[in-house]
Amino acid sequence: MKNFWHNITSGLKDIYDVFTLELYRIFTDGGVMLIFFVGSLLYPLIFGAIYKHECIRNLPVAVVDDSQSAPSQRFIHELDATPEVNVNYNCNTLSEAETLMRQRKVNGIVYFPNDYSDRLAKGETARLCLFCDMSSFLYYRSVFTGASSVMLDEMKHIELERYAMAGVTGQDAETAITPVPYEDVKLFSPAGGFTSFLVPALLALVIHQTLFLGIGILSGTAREEGQTVAIVPERLRNRSVYRVVIGRSLAYLMIYIPLVAIDLVLLPRVFGLPHIGRLDDLCLFFLPFLLATIAFSMTVGSFVRQRDTGIIVCIFFSVVLLFLSGVVWPRSNMPLFWKYFSYLFPSTHGIQGFIRINSLGAHLKQVQFEYQMLWVQSGLYFLITCLLYRVKFFKYEDRAVCI
Amino acid sequence: MKHLWNCFCRELGLIKESPRYLILLTAGILFSYVFFLTFMHEGQPENLPIAVVDQDGSYLSRRLCHEIDATQGVDVVAVYNSHSEAREAMQRQEIFAFLEIPAGTYSEVLDFKTPHLALYSNNAYLLAGTLSYKTLSTIGKLTSAAVQREVMRKKGYSEDQIMGMIQPIEIDAHLISNPWGSYLPYVLTTMLPGIIGVMALLLTVYLVTNEYKLKTEKIWLSTAGDNMLNALIGKLLPYTCWFTLIGIIGNMVMFGFSHFVCLGSFFALSVALLLFVMAMQAMGVFLAGLIPDQHLAVSVAAIYGMLSFSMSGFSYPVVSMPPALQAISYVFPLRHYYLTYADVAMFGATFTQYWSHLCWLLCFMMAGCIGGLLLNRWAKSNSDDAAIEC
Repeated sequence: MKNFWHNITSGLKDIYDVFTLELYRIFTDGGVMLIFFVGSLLYPLIFGAIYKHECIRNLPVAVVDDSQSAPSQRFIHELDATPEVNVNYNCNTLSEAETLMRQRKVNGIVYFPNDYSDRLAKGETARLCLFCDMSSFLYYRSVFTGASSVMLDEMKHIELERYAMAGVTGQDAETAITPVPYEDVKLFSPAGGFTSFLVPALLALVIHQTLFLGIGILSGTAREEGQTVAIVPERLRNRSVYRVVIGRSLAYLMIYIPLVAIDLVLLPRVFGLPHIGRLDDLCLFFLPFLLATIAFSMTVGSFVRQRDTGIIVCIFFSVVLLFLSGVVWPRSNMPLFWKYFSYLFPSTHGIQGFIRINSLGAHLKQVQFEYQMLWVQSGLYFLITCLLYRVKFFKYEDRAVCI
Repeated sequence: MKHLWNCFCRELGLIKESPRYLILLTAGILFSYVFFLTFMHEGQPENLPIAVVDQDGSYLSRRLCHEIDATQGVDVVAVYNSHSEAREAMQRQEIFAFLEIPAGTYSEVLDFKTPHLALYSNNAYLLAGTLSYKTLSTIGKLTSAAVQREVMRKKGYSEDQIMGMIQPIEIDAHLISNPWGSYLPYVLTTMLPGIIGVMALLLTVYLVTNEYKLKTEKIWLSTAGDNMLNALIGKLLPYTCWFTLIGIIGNMVMFGFSHFVCLGSFFALSVALLLFVMAMQAMGVFLAGLIPDQHLAVSVAAIYGMLSFSMSGFSYPVVSMPPALQAISYVFPLRHYYLTYADVAMFGATFTQYWSHLCWLLCFMMAGCIGGLLLNRWAKSNSDDAAIEC
């Protein structure tokens, strides 16, 4: 029994030693401090500023009205009144409008052929042409949404006129035009904005990447300077390696709990992003997310030989991880190989889970898969890290060991 | 010229000695090309999972289900009995949208009453939400049109008259240079060269500061005849060539193999790529000159490099950013590369239209020169220190 207690107290003491040593390493390294504290707080603020406006408003378009009639002019006025686009130029010819488009002064052209009003008068289908600037997805979306909403409105107007000509008016005409109306409800982000969609994912990614980068840099630096500096206290050499891993993890965890609270709980509220998740669900979810990220970073960190290699690997993976998380490109349409590949990274489940709890108001039960996967990752990467350290201790028995 | 050549050869020797970094970066770039081209090979997501909440259970509701399932855009993966079930499935991200058909829909249609369908889409996932909404709302409109047509047929209207009644206006949309509305050209044409640029930036900062860290700057400068400009050009030229070459091959793959549209000259695009890589390297020299500490310089370069993607405006237009950030966007070379790409490839612009972007890229050489001057000063002060120590 005494032996048992002795084991526990010595274990705790060793963990505490490694913990303080790790904190010392973090706080004496300018680069790591920059990444942990400046990076994780500055990036969200920059992203918040860049994506401040949810949607694009008043995109400039040009119109070419060959029909010069009352219906086409009414269409143009209504188009100008939409929030999406502004009719900035009235051109006489299509080539004039094309020149404006080439000069990037407008992002769309609406063209009314000369038979536009004739066809409407004859009760046929009138056609108008829309040319969209495709250099950005959002330009296309705005021009197209603006034009189609006016079209739907105009269609109803014309249909009512035609029914009136046929002698059907009032409620009867309304019913005849839309016998089965539908209402659309846009859930979780009513404005359909770019900000509410991308920024939550970026916030979670910033946490993952700064932690990953910081730990990578620490491991790389230790290796670079490793010939002379002993990182692990001499007396821990022949003890269980888990003490080192737990001690280090606790140091990162302690630093990141307040940072996560700021980035993922406070900032969505400050920026006015969706935040309908329950706090207790969020907190329960952040724990395995942080643990898995820390364990993953330590595993990868063991292979980082040089400080700057870590930075390059991290930068390079940032963009890839955003896509793998399934926020931009739906998970249902990912090739199978990349889907399983994405399971390697805690960010995939972390971002998915965070968005679903925070923006979609899911409970822990609905993110069960992600939650379990993060715990599995934590355990697995923890074991791998222990194993790697063990091998290193064994290999460099007579030398200082850097982790 | 001879000094420049000497410096160039010295760098080649250094690469031969430890090719690790260059191999690592090249492998990373190749990986991202393979990754992104295979990852989104569909171009536009198809068969997105959606659900139908069928409380009606009638002939009409079931036919609607089949018709939705038959569209290319979406796939009906489940039929639920209640709204809450569907909402939970959405929170589990099993579906991106659902159509709710309330009880009594069919009988109301037969009685000339107006039943209401409800369409719910998940807007927290922009692309999937928008696309599945678009398909479902088309179905919604078609349902009305189908009922309308049946009624009018019974009343004895001709097919032409019916079409005129149902669809008085039609939009004929022309999507310039991306007729499929594919997602790939939006993202890849700017992002992949962007990744190359960021790698070039990081490598430049690392290599230049490394000379000072290893205290080999004197040898480096003497190889270049004590001329900082020669020394920098000679040192960075191998990487300029290498990264530009990869970028051009990458563009060949995108515009050739993947059939992205390039209306203008491919040569102009390659020149823009060369200038872009040079501009990123010049920014690297500038940062290296500004911050003598290698670790810090690489960290700052990493932060600057990562911001390029957001600030270039290919995903979120710069005109929608706050005015201060619109001004700052000019100091990111990727922004100018993106503008050149859009002008040349999407609109087939001629030199008179896109020259200003190339000039902007050339302006970054000034930053490189300032960096060179600063580096020169560090080298001088280092050798003075060494003299004092002696």
